[in-house]
Amino acid sequence: MIEVQNLTKRYRDRVAVEGLNFSVAEGEILGFLGPNGAGKSTTMKLLTGFLPPSEGVAKVAGFDVFEQPLEVKRRIGYLPETPPLYPEMTVVGYLKFVASLKGLPGRGLRAEVERVGTLTGLSDVMGRVIQNLSKGYKQRVGIAQALLGSPPVLILDEPTEGLDPTQRAEVRALIKGLAGKHTVILSTHILPEVTMTCEKVLIINQGRVVAYDDLRKLARAHGGKAENVSLEEIFIKLTAA
Amino acid sequence: MRTALAIARKELSIYFTTPWAYAVFTAMLALASFFFVGLLHDFQHTQELARMSGWDNLPPERRNLTDGVMVPFWSSVMIITLFVAPFLSMRLFAEEKRNKTFELLMTAPVRPVEIVLGKYLGGLGVITTTLGLTILYPVLLSFFGSSESGTVLEWGTVLLGYGGLLLWGATCMAIGMFLSTLTESQMVAALLTFAVLLPWTLLRGLAHGAEEPMRSIITYLSFDAQLQGLLRGVVDLKTIVFFFSVIIFSLVLSHRAVEAQRWA
Repeated sequence: MIEVQNLTKRYRDRVAVEGLNFSVAEGEILGFLGPNGAGKSTTMKLLTGFLPPSEGVAKVAGFDVFEQPLEVKRRIGYLPETPPLYPEMTVVGYLKFVASLKGLPGRGLRAEVERVGTLTGLSDVMGRVIQNLSKGYKQRVGIAQALLGSPPVLILDEPTEGLDPTQRAEVRALIKGLAGKHTVILSTHILPEVTMTCEKVLIINQGRVVAYDDLRKLARAHGGKAENVSLEEIFIKLTAA
Repeated sequence: MRTALAIARKELSIYFTTPWAYAVFTAMLALASFFFVGLLHDFQHTQELARMSGWDNLPPERRNLTDGVMVPFWSSVMIITLFVAPFLSMRLFAEEKRNKTFELLMTAPVRPVEIVLGKYLGGLGVITTTLGLTILYPVLLSFFGSSESGTVLEWGTVLLGYGGLLLWGATCMAIGMFLSTLTESQMVAALLTFAVLLPWTLLRGLAHGAEEPMRSIITYLSFDAQLQGLLRGVVDLKTIVFFFSVIIFSLVLSHRAVEAQRWA
């Protein structure tokens, strides 16, 4: 579903990501890990077509992100690291706006807004103005926006940021429920999250891939015979350099 | 096109839910009233003078309310528009960039053309509302004024002048929108818009010292000189072409600037 080859982004002489290679199969959830500033958000911006790559190719559902951006954008639901909200709008007004941006048909629009609202637990705040919502709710409005129109690919940049532990568990359950139907790339630096939701992980550090494997294999490779090595230890070990 | 309309509607709903647009409306009404009362007062004064010293001494542009009050009034509103339009256009793109919502627009399946057109339509809506308030003044005049020959105003002239004003507002918004694509800061966008609009309007001042071919060119390019005829109700195709060219050029530049995001 998602294919990335030699993806590189440079800003003048600073390298943000370099030579990324990975692919995500349909229905898979990929955990995207790395310390702050490793290039996670940049990679996601490249995949969604917000930034052009300096080199390399990214393909979503067979379409090149740079050559056929509209085809790709139609298939992606994207939650950027700062949820893109208009503080003056109400939740329902905002979601309707995003739905019409995505070109969802006018008739089913209201039902679709209600569906994602219920899915993300926003039903009670639909009529409220976004700037008056708590951080957790704002984050959930951001997730709801990405889910509108149930796009086959979801790219979520730290979806559980700013949520309390209960909400975090809810969002995790939500994302887990999306597996199979959607292809998901999920970035986070909360490691248990990955262990609980993802089958595969990609760890990057300073713009380069340091590990890309099945979660269980990764644990085996770095923990010798022990199966109970935590992802945390692997992460610290790999990103220490 | 449906997405462009959705963007325009969103722009308008944000304009009208924040106090910002209302502050601009108030400023427009306050300043316009100030000029209107001043002009009325002057008009009354010259009429009284004429009554004493004979009507023949009265210059023709002072003889009726249309030429004596409304035409100079539209010129004042034009200057007010020059000062308030940048405050309306500054947020169009700068705010999206600062709020990170630009990312939403750019990652939605929307073409840059639709974003630019939607934004511009929203901007046109709010400037039309702002200028729409000023139609109140000629209506007031026609209520309270009276003349032997029927209507006190030549509505044709007044409305043509008003049309010129709307065209001017549309031009200010187009230039302001383009400059708003260049920065994340609304204040910078507004200042840049002033810095472009004001000298461009006053360009005619430079023409006095210039030699002949330059002089005509400078006068032709000046907003002020172009608007003079239009506000008096004289429609000249050249003027209309001039303003439409400026608007279309600004829209094309805005489109380039939005498209450039994909290459940056």
